[in-house]
Amino acid sequence: MSENYKFDTLSLHAGHIPDKETGSRAVPIYQTTSYVFNSTEEAASLYNMEVGGHLYTRISNPTVAALEQRLAALEGGASALACSSGMAAMHLVISAICSSGDHIVASSKMYGANINLLQHTMPRFGVKTDFVNPNDPEAIKRAIKPNTKLVFGEVIGNPGLDIMDVPEIAKICNSKNIPLVLDATFNTPYLMQPFKHGANIIVHSLTKWLGGHGIAIGGAIVNGGNFDWGDKDKFPTISGAHFALGGISFWEEFGPSALIAKIRAEGMYNFGPSLSPTNAFHLMQGIETLPLRMKKHIENTHSIIEFLVNHEMVEWVKHPDLETHPDHEVAKRILPKGSGSIVAFGIKGGREAGKAFIESVQLASHLANVGDAKTLLIHPGSTTHSHLSSEAMKEGGLTDDMIRLSVGLEDINDITKDFERAFKAVKKLNK
Amino acid sequence: MIINFKGAKTYLGTGGKSLDSTKKTLCFLHGSGQNHFSFVQQARFFAYKGYSVIVPDMPAHGLSDGNPCKSIKENAEWINDLLVELKLKNVVVIGHSQGCLVALELNKIFKNTLEAIIFVAGSNEIPVNQYLLDLSIENPQKASQMMVTWGHGIDGDMSINKWPGHSHYGEGNNIMCMNKPKALNCDLNSCNDYSDGIDAAKNIKVPALAVLAKNDQMTPLKSGLKFVELIENCETHILDCGHFLPSERPVELNSIINSFLLKLK
Repeated sequence: MSENYKFDTLSLHAGHIPDKETGSRAVPIYQTTSYVFNSTEEAASLYNMEVGGHLYTRISNPTVAALEQRLAALEGGASALACSSGMAAMHLVISAICSSGDHIVASSKMYGANINLLQHTMPRFGVKTDFVNPNDPEAIKRAIKPNTKLVFGEVIGNPGLDIMDVPEIAKICNSKNIPLVLDATFNTPYLMQPFKHGANIIVHSLTKWLGGHGIAIGGAIVNGGNFDWGDKDKFPTISGAHFALGGISFWEEFGPSALIAKIRAEGMYNFGPSLSPTNAFHLMQGIETLPLRMKKHIENTHSIIEFLVNHEMVEWVKHPDLETHPDHEVAKRILPKGSGSIVAFGIKGGREAGKAFIESVQLASHLANVGDAKTLLIHPGSTTHSHLSSEAMKEGGLTDDMIRLSVGLEDINDITKDFERAFKAVKKLNK
Repeated sequence: MIINFKGAKTYLGTGGKSLDSTKKTLCFLHGSGQNHFSFVQQARFFAYKGYSVIVPDMPAHGLSDGNPCKSIKENAEWINDLLVELKLKNVVVIGHSQGCLVALELNKIFKNTLEAIIFVAGSNEIPVNQYLLDLSIENPQKASQMMVTWGHGIDGDMSINKWPGHSHYGEGNNIMCMNKPKALNCDLNSCNDYSDGIDAAKNIKVPALAVLAKNDQMTPLKSGLKFVELIENCETHILDCGHFLPSERPVELNSIINSFLLKLK
C-alpha cells in the first residue's frame, strides 16, 4: 500500500529500509572505496550511466546515497547529491551551470565565503557576478543580462538575516528562464521547502541544523527537477553534447535529474569533493531528530529574543520574526513556522563591549559555526566576515557591535542566566 | 533526437546512440502521462547492448509538441506511421502500462510484423476511476502526484532507489509535469475507453513476455495474470514492486528483457 509519508516520518526513514541480508535497522556505514563488478558488462553499464549503481565512492556510495535520498524526500526534489561541504556544493552547482563568459546575479547579503567565491575566485575563471540587494526583486530583474546563467541567494541571509522573497524572485527567474539557486541552510526543509515557492536548486551546508551536532562537515545539492535546461545556446553543457560519455546530452537523457547527473559525471568525477560515508551516517543521525530540534530551536529563539529586546544592555535585536525587522512580512508569508534560530544583536558599548560579552559567557560557545544543538556565538566583524572591506560589511548589513547568536537547545533559563552573567561583565567595562 | 513528424516537433530517445535501422530495434512505449524519461534506465542499457533503441515522446508528451492522441488506436496508428517513416523493420515493442494497450493495437496494424512484444505492468484493460479522470482536467498536477504515489511500491514511499540520490516521487512528478496539460486527460480517457484488449491479446502470434508487479495498484497483478492467460505462450515474471517497474526494478527488468531478447536471436 502506497503512503505519502509526512515530514517527521521521512526524517527517520527516507532513503533506507532494513536490508534483507542483515536486518540492520540503522543505515549501514559502507566504508569502502569501490565495489566489485559481477561482470565486465555490469562494469561497463555503470560507467556508461545505463543504470544506477555504485562504482567508486568518489562518485557515489550507498551510505551517502541514503542521505541524498532522504534529503530529496524532505525537500520534495527530484534528486540530490551530497558532498564534502556546503561550499563544495555551491561550487559544484556553479561549475555545472556556468562557463567562462557567463554571469551570475547574487545577493549582496550572504555568508562571507559565498561572496568570496563569487567576487574573487570565479572571476579568475571568467564567471562574473553582480551583487544586488536580495530584498529588492526589481533590482534582481534589472541585473539579469543575456549571459546570466543563475540567480543565487540565501533564503535567510547569514549573518544579516535578510529574507529573500522567494516566490517573487522565482517568478522573475522563471520569466527569464534562469534557475533560482538558493542556499537553504538556515531554514532547513523543516521551516521552508523552497521548491514549493518556485526555486529550482537548493544547496545546503549539512554541517549546520541538518546535522545539528557539530561533528561532521557536509554539503548537499537538491535538484527540484522543475527547470527546463533545453535551451542549448544558454545551457550548452547540460542540454548540448557534453564531452563525457560520447557526447551525452544530460537534459535529453535524464530530464528532471539532468543537473545531478551532470554533477555526478563531471563535478564529482573531476573535482572529487566526496562526502565520507561515516560523515554521511553522522549527518543522517542528526536528520532523524531534525523536526524535534527545529521546534525547540524556534521555541528557545523566541524566548531569547524576548529576553534581549527587554535587556537594558542591548542596543538592538535583529530577527525576522520581530515586527521591527524590515522583512517581517515576507518572513511571515514564507516561513510561518519561524525564521530560524540565528539572532543578531548589538551590545551597548560597541566593539569592545561585544568582545567582552563573548569572552564572558560560559555556557555558550564562541566558535565559527551555527546550527549546533548547543548555543554558539561569534563576532562576525572580527571572524567570519573579517576579510570583507568596511564597505562590503556595510552592504552586507554588518556592524562592529554585532554578535551572531545561534540559539541551542539548552534549558532557556540556563542560557539567559549565562547571558546575564556576561552582560554584568560588560556593564563593569562600560563603567 | 528531434524530428519533424506529422508537422510537429517530435522527440525520440535513442539511449545515447544513433538510430540504426539495420539493427534490431527496441521501441519503448510509455504509459499514461509519462514520456521517454520513464525509460531512462532501459534506453541507455539496451542501446549500449547493440540494439537500436527508440523511445518516442508521444505528441504533447515530454519534449514533443503536437496534440495528444485521443484513443489507443490513434496512438497505435501514430507509432505505426513513425516506424514506417523511420524505415524500421525488425521491431520489438516494449510497452509500459498504457503502452501495453498501444502495443496490442500496433500488433494488429504493423505490416512488417513485430518480432516480439514485451508487456511491462500490462493488462488488456486499464479502467480509470471517474475522480481521476475529472481531476486530470481540473488539476493535472494533482492528478499526476496521486498517480505517482499510487504507482510506486514501498520504494517510492521510502525514497529507496538504486540510482543514487534519486527520488521516485520527486522525479516521477516532474516527468509528468513536463507534458502538455491536456496530455494526461487524453491518455487516461484512451485507457478507460479501450475495450478491444481481449481479442487483441488472443491474436498475438509473436513471442511475448510479460513482467508484472506484485504491488501494482494501477494495473493490478490479478488483472495482469488474467491478461497473460489470453496470450499464447507468454513468458511471465512477477517482480516485488509497484507499477513503475522500469524505475523501481531497473536491473531485474533489464535482465529479464535481455534474456528474452537473446532467446529471439
